[in-house]
Amino acid sequence: MEKIINISNLTKDYGDGRGIFDFSFDVKRGEVFGFVGTNGSGKTTTIRNMMGFIKPQNGKITINGNDSWKDACEIKKYVGYIPGQIDFPDVGTGTKFLKIQADFLGIKDLSYMNKLIDMFKLDTEASLNRMSKGMKQKTAIVAAFMSEPDILIMDEPSTGLDPMMRDKLIELILEQKEKGKTIFMSSHIFKELENTCDRVAFIHNGKIINIVDRAQHVENMDKQYQIGFAEKKEYQEFLKCNYEILNRNENYNHLTIKINDTEMNKLFKTLEPYNIRYINYQPYTLEWYYTNIIEKQEV
Amino acid sequence: MINIEGGKEMAVIEVNNLTKDYDHGRGIYDVSFEVNKGETLGFLGPNGAGKSTTMRHLMGFAAPQKGNAKILGMDCRKEYAKILKSVGYLPGEVAIPEGLNGNGFIDMMQGLRKAKNPERIKKLSEIFEIDLQQNVKRMSIGEKRKLAVIAAFMNDPEILLLDEPTSGLDPVMQEKFIEFIKEEKKRGKTILLSSHMFAEVEALCDRIAIIKDGRIVSIVEAAEVKHGLRKIVEITFIGIEDYKRFLNEKFEFERMNEEQLKVDIVMEDADVNKFLAVIVNYKVAIFVENPVTLEDYFMHFYKNDKKFGGVTNGKNNKHQ
Repeated sequence: MEKIINISNLTKDYGDGRGIFDFSFDVKRGEVFGFVGTNGSGKTTTIRNMMGFIKPQNGKITINGNDSWKDACEIKKYVGYIPGQIDFPDVGTGTKFLKIQADFLGIKDLSYMNKLIDMFKLDTEASLNRMSKGMKQKTAIVAAFMSEPDILIMDEPSTGLDPMMRDKLIELILEQKEKGKTIFMSSHIFKELENTCDRVAFIHNGKIINIVDRAQHVENMDKQYQIGFAEKKEYQEFLKCNYEILNRNENYNHLTIKINDTEMNKLFKTLEPYNIRYINYQPYTLEWYYTNIIEKQEV
Repeated sequence: MINIEGGKEMAVIEVNNLTKDYDHGRGIYDVSFEVNKGETLGFLGPNGAGKSTTMRHLMGFAAPQKGNAKILGMDCRKEYAKILKSVGYLPGEVAIPEGLNGNGFIDMMQGLRKAKNPERIKKLSEIFEIDLQQNVKRMSIGEKRKLAVIAAFMNDPEILLLDEPTSGLDPVMQEKFIEFIKEEKKRGKTILLSSHMFAEVEALCDRIAIIKDGRIVSIVEAAEVKHGLRKIVEITFIGIEDYKRFLNEKFEFERMNEEQLKVDIVMEDADVNKFLAVIVNYKVAIFVENPVTLEDYFMHFYKNDKKFGGVTNGKNNKHQ
């Protein structure tokens, strides 16, 4: 598939080990690409480089063939953007702001904008400086999506949204993905990444640690279960049973095992004679990836 | 400072019929609740429901039209300066003056509060991994939030008002924050916490108040809610015969999918041995759990059927 966003050797060094170093990756047309990392790891810096707000020291970014620094104006015509921190110009109400944006983007038919306003239950008549954080975020979402741009670049788009609105945002992302749009987003909410992204890049201290294919991570994975035993004797007996034990706790008589789906029936047979208190499935999620990949980098 | 009446402790935080109408149906109306000493009250509700407005009244930033907010028996608007000594506040939106570095900001805040706690500040900056030498201008959004966290906790206040405290923090920091608050709870702190993150509500709150359209619609004990959550397991069978045979077993079926040979059943921990005795007679391909979370439980409070006027091309955009 065609590469629509291309980042090669992108470097911006702020000194003291801060910044981003030698970032290279690309986003394909029609892909939803997630960007995950600790606070201060360089997510916003990367996004601000993509939008042409910062000039890279080294390397370059092209979006749809345009250079993100030199052709920043051109790029803004077909890229919808949600910044990480929203500061609206002082133009009065949400309605006024959205109309200014619509004029700027040359949108004549406001019906899609109004569909979004209704979808996010946005009270646009509220004054921008009276809006709560969540309302501002919703206004920014409407402004970014209302022209149905080919490319969306979003910096933690669900910050401050309530759970219902987070689900609406996921719905909207999937709807735009269906229409072939390319979406790049950073996030700390694993649920929204899992539900939307084709690939997720993990970054830490300004370096890309790993890029994970969602399909690959959901399938082909062994599963983990936490099992609680009622009796110490049975807990100890189970330990001898040749299962891969990830961790155990003598005090609570519980342990976590890792097994393949094909061994599930064998596990049930092993457990059947025992007095079991609970079996908790512990899903492998992006969060698991995060804590196991990113946290280990700290050491 | 705690008043004791007839052996029963008075609420540390008290909100009585608090009303502030911003027109167009925006505002808070007759909001009443209390937070007792040592208690953590979760404050949930849709965006724009009035959580931050209520918090801001507790800080004395806004004057109520009706009712009052009290902390330690003192009126929040009239005696905000006295109250400030006992309260740590983490605002929902953090605006930190640029041009300072982290230490400069902390010094400024200490000056405002006329307090010095270098050791606690050092400890906090280690827990939350923040470099206080760094210029605020260079800090990312998450780092600014961490700085606000330190400012809220540095004087070790006995009351904490936390407005979406972990929003913008990365997952590792979210976890650290929850652990930190757990410790503060053990030390007897009284906490009001607004949040959209159910993991933190579940881990920290004793009671949960729900606000919707500016009104309190429900206040529940967290333990009661957690107790009512049921565990759902999803079983995929290898063959259609097994799938069909299993449907005759005595379980509470939540969902069935013949095409995928998949069933969802309710399985309380107490039933696990009964379940094992049955399941060994079947060939199972996949066994996973769909945990029912607090989020599922509370989701219906976030439904919004309100119609807001859209934007038209004409000059007059009156609210409908």
